[in-house]
Amino acid sequence: MSFLSVRNVSKYYGPVAAVDSFGLDVEKGEFISLLGPSGCGKTTTLQMVAGLVRPSAGTIMMGERDITHLPPPQRELGVVFQSYALFPHMTVAENVSFGLEMRKVAKAERDRRVKDILALVHLLALADRYPREMSGGQRQRVAIARALVINPPVLLLDEPLSNLDAQLREEMQFELRRIQQVVGITTIMVTHDQSEALSISDRVVVMEQGRITQVDTPYELYERPRNPFISSFVGKSNFLAATAEHHAGGATISIGNTGITFQANDRPKGKHVSVFIRPEKLRLTAPSEGQIEGTVTSRYFMGNQWLVSAKTPAGTLSVAVQNFGAPPPPIGEKVGLVWRNDDCRVLAAGAAE
Amino acid sequence: MQRNGPVALIFHSLVVAFMLAPMVVVCLVAFTPENTLTMPWNSLSLRWFEAVFEHADFMASFWNSVRLALLSATISTFLAVPAALAITRYEFRGRDALNALFLSPLIIPHLVLGVAFLRLFSLMGATGSFAWLVATHAIVVSPYTLRLILASLTSMDRNAENAARTLGAGEWTVFCRITMPLLLPGISGGWLLAFINSFDELTMSIFVTSPSTVTLPVRMYMYASESIDPMMAAVSALMIAVATVTMIVLDRMFGLDRLLVGKG
Repeated sequence: MSFLSVRNVSKYYGPVAAVDSFGLDVEKGEFISLLGPSGCGKTTTLQMVAGLVRPSAGTIMMGERDITHLPPPQRELGVVFQSYALFPHMTVAENVSFGLEMRKVAKAERDRRVKDILALVHLLALADRYPREMSGGQRQRVAIARALVINPPVLLLDEPLSNLDAQLREEMQFELRRIQQVVGITTIMVTHDQSEALSISDRVVVMEQGRITQVDTPYELYERPRNPFISSFVGKSNFLAATAEHHAGGATISIGNTGITFQANDRPKGKHVSVFIRPEKLRLTAPSEGQIEGTVTSRYFMGNQWLVSAKTPAGTLSVAVQNFGAPPPPIGEKVGLVWRNDDCRVLAAGAAE
Repeated sequence: MQRNGPVALIFHSLVVAFMLAPMVVVCLVAFTPENTLTMPWNSLSLRWFEAVFEHADFMASFWNSVRLALLSATISTFLAVPAALAITRYEFRGRDALNALFLSPLIIPHLVLGVAFLRLFSLMGATGSFAWLVATHAIVVSPYTLRLILASLTSMDRNAENAARTLGAGEWTVFCRITMPLLLPGISGGWLLAFINSFDELTMSIFVTSPSTVTLPVRMYMYASESIDPMMAAVSALMIAVATVTMIVLDRMFGLDRLLVGKG
């Protein structure tokens, strides 16, 4: 029996399915991310778990308890909204204490718990401020503290970092994970930012058009995306058109226009397939030494790495080159490209594209 | 902030002067010791203010107007809060009609309203009742309360209410602890506009007041149509003073910018 179980939950708006047969079992203490482009139904899913949107079908179980039709106050889940939704007319301490008041916790006990949780999010000194007197990052931590102070069994986060600037976002990402680990709370986070999902989750749920398309650990998801959409949405990818000869042990893949063939363990359907390979798994070398030869068409310096594009007979390939040693060859130069065939993934062409 | 050029500055000063001059003149004339409407160049006197306070009819009308404005503004606020909640949050048949109905007193000339109410009240045999006068004023000022409450409702983050729900608050608690406090600027701003509009209303009131319920503007109108003496200026000065003090109090309490312009 898993801790939180979402079974076949759907939400229809008229004939349109915003969420279609969503099923997921969450273990106690897990950090799950719902990842997908906007409009994929991830926020609707979260709101159904929170009780703010009524599912059209399916059940949601907390252990043995069916919470599908319970109103939000009786679910006792912690929710952090994208806009933080702090109460503007209350101080930080009053905001955080609200949930305890609703639970009729005695004043002394309330004060103690508010103090403890504010210490956890490093906001003890600002307890008497109003939300409008605080920065975005601070407000966000108030929202997290307010959701956590009631000791909810599950914490739901709706795009918690999207309103922060880039630097703060990265910092808060790890802060979020730290708090989650300290409290040991089961967490579901909605995000459209793949790096956020990869860096702090135990498992990532990818959603497209209301459906789950892959559930995996971040590493598996990145290394073995199930379809071309995921491989380009989660990280960057090069796609090469290829043909597959199926045989007993797997398939022989021939990359178009190049004469390159290799044995793949993947068994995509059909003859026409896509080979995809991550930019960081390609290496530049001398023109004659690579598996394929190309000409550099663009070269961008990103600080920690270079992003080089090379035109090859198989198409234009992006290569990520660590900023280590001399800069890569300039535009117009001939280069060779090297990779390990094991790093290539073969997917049915055009699937879900 | 960009500074105004000299031409713009002169223009703005003229507009402000044009708006304020009549009020300043009225207030100055109120202090004249003479029997006619003249500027008090030589000496100041409070005799016309005394005259107002000793004039029983004026004082009765003043208190009448205060009671009327308090009651009608409060009643219209009590009607406007649920109406605004319904209009912004629910889809129902006749929603637009309800919205239009609440705004219609702004569009229908008060003269027409006055005649219509007069006719209605005489048919009902209710002419001259203070309760019905309050009802007519509540109707006439409701557009102001509804508009301001609607404005603060639409600009409100509804997730604050959702957050309260997830923290364990029932619907009634959410309304009292979250919705109402967040609506307070709209409610008090609407109430204030309603109060002032009711206190000022003349056109319709001429038709629906009776000798026992004459309001201050109607009393002034009746008095002024017979004779003009500096007592009228004194009454006007007092009305301006009441409005100014109300505004200052509200500004100190909530900030007028926030109430009327909706600045956070």
